[in-house]
Amino acid sequence: MKAAPFDHHAPESVADAAALLAEHGDEAKVLAGGQSLLPMLAMRLTRFEHLVDVSRVPELHGITTDGDLRIGASTPQAVAEHDPVVADAVPLVARAIPHIGHFQIRNRGTVGGSIAHADPASELPAVALALDAVLEVAGATGTREIAATDFFEGTWSTALADDEILTGVRFPVWTGRQGAAVREVARRSGDFAIAGVAAAVELDAADRVARVAVGLFGVASTPVRASATEAALTGASVAEATAALADAALAAADGFDAVDDLHATGAYRRRVTTHLVQTALTAAIQEASGVRA
Amino acid sequence: MSDHGIGAGRYVGQAVQRKEDPRLLTGHGRYVDDVTVPRMLHAAFVRSDLAAATIRSIDVSEALALDGVVAVLTGHDLNGIAGSMQPSMNVENSPFPCAPLRPLAVTDVRFVGDPVALVVAESRAVAEDAAELVFVDYEPTPAVATIEAALADGAPLVHPEFGTNVPVDFPMPADPEVEALFASAAHVVEHRIVQHRYNPVPMEPRGVIAGYDNVTGELDVWLSTQGPHEARLTFSRLTGVPEQHVRVRMGDVGGGFGQKFFTGHDEQVVVLAAKHLGRAIKWIEDRRENLLAATHSRSDLADVALALDADGRILAAKFDHVEDAGAFPVGGLGGVGPFVSMLFPGPYRIPKIWWRSRIVCTNTCGRGAYRGPWMFETTAREEILDVAARAVGIDPREIRRINVVADDDQPYNTATGMMFERVTPATTLEHATQVIDYDGFRATQAAAFAEGRLLGIGIGLYIEPTSSPAGSLGVEAAKVRLEPGGSVTVFLGTAAHGQSIETTMAQVVAEHLGVPYEQVAVIQGDTDRTPFGGGTGGSRTAVIAGNATRLAAQRVREKVVEVAAHLLEAAPEDLEVADGRVAVRGTPSRAVTLAEVATAVHNVGGVAVDVPRVLEATGRYETQGMTWSNACHVCTVEVDRVTGQVTIGRYVVSEDCGRMINPMVVEGQVQGGVAQGVGGVLYEHFVYDDDGNPLTTTFLDYLLPTAVEVPRVEIDHVVTDGGNPSGVKGMGEGGAIGSVPAVFNAVADALSLVGATVLDQPLTPLRVVEALEAAGA
Repeated sequence: MKAAPFDHHAPESVADAAALLAEHGDEAKVLAGGQSLLPMLAMRLTRFEHLVDVSRVPELHGITTDGDLRIGASTPQAVAEHDPVVADAVPLVARAIPHIGHFQIRNRGTVGGSIAHADPASELPAVALALDAVLEVAGATGTREIAATDFFEGTWSTALADDEILTGVRFPVWTGRQGAAVREVARRSGDFAIAGVAAAVELDAADRVARVAVGLFGVASTPVRASATEAALTGASVAEATAALADAALAAADGFDAVDDLHATGAYRRRVTTHLVQTALTAAIQEASGVRA
Repeated sequence: MSDHGIGAGRYVGQAVQRKEDPRLLTGHGRYVDDVTVPRMLHAAFVRSDLAAATIRSIDVSEALALDGVVAVLTGHDLNGIAGSMQPSMNVENSPFPCAPLRPLAVTDVRFVGDPVALVVAESRAVAEDAAELVFVDYEPTPAVATIEAALADGAPLVHPEFGTNVPVDFPMPADPEVEALFASAAHVVEHRIVQHRYNPVPMEPRGVIAGYDNVTGELDVWLSTQGPHEARLTFSRLTGVPEQHVRVRMGDVGGGFGQKFFTGHDEQVVVLAAKHLGRAIKWIEDRRENLLAATHSRSDLADVALALDADGRILAAKFDHVEDAGAFPVGGLGGVGPFVSMLFPGPYRIPKIWWRSRIVCTNTCGRGAYRGPWMFETTAREEILDVAARAVGIDPREIRRINVVADDDQPYNTATGMMFERVTPATTLEHATQVIDYDGFRATQAAAFAEGRLLGIGIGLYIEPTSSPAGSLGVEAAKVRLEPGGSVTVFLGTAAHGQSIETTMAQVVAEHLGVPYEQVAVIQGDTDRTPFGGGTGGSRTAVIAGNATRLAAQRVREKVVEVAAHLLEAAPEDLEVADGRVAVRGTPSRAVTLAEVATAVHNVGGVAVDVPRVLEATGRYETQGMTWSNACHVCTVEVDRVTGQVTIGRYVVSEDCGRMINPMVVEGQVQGGVAQGVGGVLYEHFVYDDDGNPLTTTFLDYLLPTAVEVPRVEIDHVVTDGGNPSGVKGMGEGGAIGSVPAVFNAVADALSLVGATVLDQPLTPLRVVEALEAAGA
């Protein structure tokens, strides 16, 4: 389990990182926290001639709020997990991160790395998708923004070009009364989810569901947004939403091509997804409406 | 509940702190990978990625051309110079055919992971780079990946040398009495029970450093092992280097669980390569190799049948067992085989039994020992007992009470020829079920079920064979030496890899020689320094090495007393040794220290000529037949009806391992074994597809239980003298045996509430959900 030889580059600016990517093309890969890439390299499941290590690029670190919550791509997951600004602005992010692996992994793993790696069983891509996050990207020729909806193309595959680097993610901040919950089923504590749900609910002044976001992970080849579930609940009163939850959760399980693998069948994933959507939304609605669980 | 301290002394029987703790708990253990020898090279294997194939050609030219590569060895280089690769047990007296071992595959490969070439280079990284440049041209051939496939008519042969995939088939003759009992029984239950494949998975994978000196002819080996003396014999036979010129050393070993008891195939290849090249070579197995090609374990099935009377009393049994040996088992075919059938009756009165034992080969990684290698007898028996209880309509505890071997049944001869004595299965059954409040749990279970929740309770009751009288494994020698300063060194042929032997054997010496525990050091793991011994495995150290150590310590004490009697001008029988001092009984001021005794012996004129001049002694102990220990595991679970996930509630073990040397060490062994059994039932599964391709070669897919998944074990001790001088019994393996049916039966019990049935392990969430769905629940 030794990686094939590679050159390690440690640029100190996004521009330098982008230039390195442009220079080496598909022979280069961005190295963030290394929690996914390094095992794959060590097992020689993948190989790159050049690793562009972005962990020491200052402008990729940091958490700010300016309308949106912006998290720099190289910010360690553990930093975001424990940042009061994150917990206050976008609770769903703060509640999703503890489900990522184990704390040692979160100390090294980065917010941007998790999103750019685009493992369909990861929590943050589903959160980004559900919350309509915007992904900030830089390349040698400039910067652009990609809506999360357009970002996740397949397992470990995104809209990022070979010479582009994810620089940050912006999550919209909800200002109404809200609740957020993450529920997942994994074989063991800390494992990749067999099925998982990240859900947030915002109520308006009339106690009706103003916004609802439901992201599914671990169930298909990409993170999945449970749009039918969201549509069924949006505009409903708390009582109506609660009554409609069971059907709305069933709709979530119909909205994706479930994967079969060693640990679960697609049918199992649908069964469990229905249950998780219902429990997560129940918790989120209760929190938003001030009910203590 | 019972007195931990029966027979306890000043040190023996006490939970003294472990001598191993300071270095191991602070991360300062020294393992084979921490050892560096001068001019050491590094090796990497090229392994087959096909389960069965003919080799058309092997091209090593590109690999050899890579900078830093010293050699790329194939079977053409090594196979012709290799001696036997079999363990001593098979060389001396194998009742079964031995797998056709060869260092490296030349004509064909027989499992995914089968070594084809060995790259030797200046670094491991270069060796792995070069390994990718070895091109093997294979012609794939059909493979058999399962027991059923191997048994099928016309199945491809794993080993053409055998002419069959069933090299061992040992059936008892048909027994009309058994048939008659089945024909007339009030209840007959029949069930195919499958024990899926899971592995020892030591935290430290295998590893070796071998160096050969062309001038002195000495072969010097560092090895991660459970038995350096056996390894030395193996390497001598393999390389032709005379045994007196082979030295095997081990440092700390990060677990073995049986995998390192016999000397593995790959370690042997590295040693042979070192001899061939005349260079020192290090090979440290990586995790993927360990999962793929070290040894696999479990993988059994049996068609089991019980005939019972109307009350649930067992009248007869049938046990038709098939063991999967894989392609190249380590330790030999039939290492366990028929023993499983012979132990099948376990702690129950089963008057008549018919059994058949088969061993099949498959195109999979070879089977190796794993903590309780025979444990399928317990899985099969305890699982079918619960099936029988439900068929008869009585509680699983009740069917055990009806059939268990009682104290006054002993000595008890089983229908398979085992003789049990000094065992307490009935007592441990009662204790364990009392501690867990079995009756109270049944009430809790009913109340929870009224709310729709599925709780269950399961029992695993077994008798554990320890300190087997098998050839050289039934004997140990220990040497104890009083050092000039009054401290004591113990030299043992054991090979601790997690058993706390430095602690327990120091306790034995401190007790029986009369010195402070802190002044005793235990040396193991070096064939140049320690007496020959069978290594650590088979739950043999406490009984065999322990009694040998006790005897050696007593003999040194006798010598010490004799010298002290001269120095104190007292009669030996008036002296007592304690705290490193020899004193006249009743007159503590008349005393000499052990240092003074040693000084007298080591200096001119210090003692009379007729007293012992060497303050060391050797003790030898030969096991007096099998020492049986026993235990009862009981656990409770809750099954999530939606997700199928199993959560363990309470876990209780009542065990009888005789007099304990150190209760803390005993409890650690129980807890660790339970972790492995829980892992086996709920998480761990080495999976092959039908073509023999492994699907679980990383910890992403091969799931070990973590601290979160393993329950805290509540342990009750029953102490029955083991029938040997120190009264101990072995107990190292039982935790991994009783836990498997306890957890399985608890889940089955919970599912039975809604009429659902599970047949096979592991009990994954998916399998539980499918069982619930099949039952319409």
